[in-house]
Amino acid sequence: MVSNRVYISSSSMLKVSRYFTKSYKELALDVVTEIFRCVDGGLDSVDYVVVSNVFSDSILDQLDISTVLNQELGLVPKPSLRVETGESSGLSAVIHAYALIKSGLASSVLVLGVEKGSEFPTTVINKHITKFLDYEVESIYDFALVNEAALLMKLYMKKYNHRREDLSTWSIKMHENAIKNPYAQLRFSVSAEQVVNSQIISEPLRLLDAFPVGDGASALLLTSKEDLIQSDDPIEIIAGYQATSLPLNLRDDLLELPASKSLFYRALSECGLKLDDAVIEVHDSYSIFGYLAIESLGLVERGKAPEAIKDLNMVNLSGGLKARGHPIGATGVYQVSEVFKILTDGLGDLRRDATWGLIHSMSAIDNNSSVVVLKRCS
Amino acid sequence: MKLSIPKYWRRRFDYYSVIIAECLDCGKKTYPRKHICPYCKSRNVRAITSAGIGEVIAYTISYFRVEGSEEHIPKIVALIKLDDGPILIGELVDLDLSELREGLRVEAVLRKIRTDDPGGLIYYGVKFRPLMK
Repeated sequence: MVSNRVYISSSSMLKVSRYFTKSYKELALDVVTEIFRCVDGGLDSVDYVVVSNVFSDSILDQLDISTVLNQELGLVPKPSLRVETGESSGLSAVIHAYALIKSGLASSVLVLGVEKGSEFPTTVINKHITKFLDYEVESIYDFALVNEAALLMKLYMKKYNHRREDLSTWSIKMHENAIKNPYAQLRFSVSAEQVVNSQIISEPLRLLDAFPVGDGASALLLTSKEDLIQSDDPIEIIAGYQATSLPLNLRDDLLELPASKSLFYRALSECGLKLDDAVIEVHDSYSIFGYLAIESLGLVERGKAPEAIKDLNMVNLSGGLKARGHPIGATGVYQVSEVFKILTDGLGDLRRDATWGLIHSMSAIDNNSSVVVLKRCS
Repeated sequence: MKLSIPKYWRRRFDYYSVIIAECLDCGKKTYPRKHICPYCKSRNVRAITSAGIGEVIAYTISYFRVEGSEEHIPKIVALIKLDDGPILIGELVDLDLSELREGLRVEAVLRKIRTDDPGGLIYYGVKFRPLMK
């Protein structure tokens, strides 16, 4: 039976790590094998493959990566394409797959996020990471996203009268959460003292305020076919929203994430999402973005996030980009996979009976933003 | 050769000076210049060469290592509010760290930004130094 509702049939992911012995094809093989081990007839039912990968040409020397993956993974002759919207690519891929099913062009779509961040030394990866900004205006001067994040930390500390150590709470909380996530890259706790004394990247921003570089792969099977739904208590994708915004220097309010804020508003007003009955994942490549994201969501008052995050027990249970890791193009797929597992069989021992899932991803400082809303159907 | 000469050359005026756009409909100014006002979507915009003088709103001293530019580390990256225009992001040069503060008056100056592989060109662009009295 086919409906026009979009459900998550299954999800899989690898621990974010540095897989020096495995290629992107082998990482993809692992997660796709796991998906079809869980779903009988799932492989035959797939009628589209959506791949999310950011650095295919710059790191992997590969274009048309979605075809090469189909050839590798036994998915020929199914159609496939690659989605790239910078750091939010993974969530864009999920939304594209959702749209294919909603439109009736497909009834089951495999979403595959894969990234190899550790094929080169960090300075080379850093070079590619600067490309999320406008090359002609910012990257040519070697201005990096981390510089802009550091400038926002300064503005935030000044406006709300915070000390540097007040802004360690995000990292502390994310590392604490990551310990419970078996797929997280940084499964150890950190103290405020360790955060403020870690290596300076772009003062006041330090190493422990930033995401780690790593490899990762995650897959999702989205479907409208009720016989592919594993559970009596299925998880439905209710909405997928996307928006863009102006570069940081042209914004009226530098401490707001305009695209994200508009999408959060839509999620709350159009879906009826209740924040106190939700599992939430926000984009926190640098901890300042995590604070700004939960403030833009309206979860906490502006300027209060550093204190409030200590007691928020439904935000970034995965450890976030900060501690789960940020395998760039795969990250959004991880976020959805994690929330799905938390709402169903559990992410390790992490399980919640919440009704809603809210997943947020963005590229650079909200240059573009995506939000996906999940709902338990029972 | 890693850098494209035409890609840089066609924007040379924007690298050798600070060119902003002023919207003749809504009055907002934009850096860099754009053909369409990003605020009101008007195409009734004109390019203006800014005096390149402004004030540091915030700064960061960066040790972020990017392949090919390690020689420029550490560098100071700042949000600068132009007197005659919008905010932009610029690098501060020619200053002693003891001078560095929010509110510092700065002016645009031409500096080397990139050197291509041996045999390639040297590329110049705008950076900012403390305003000469």
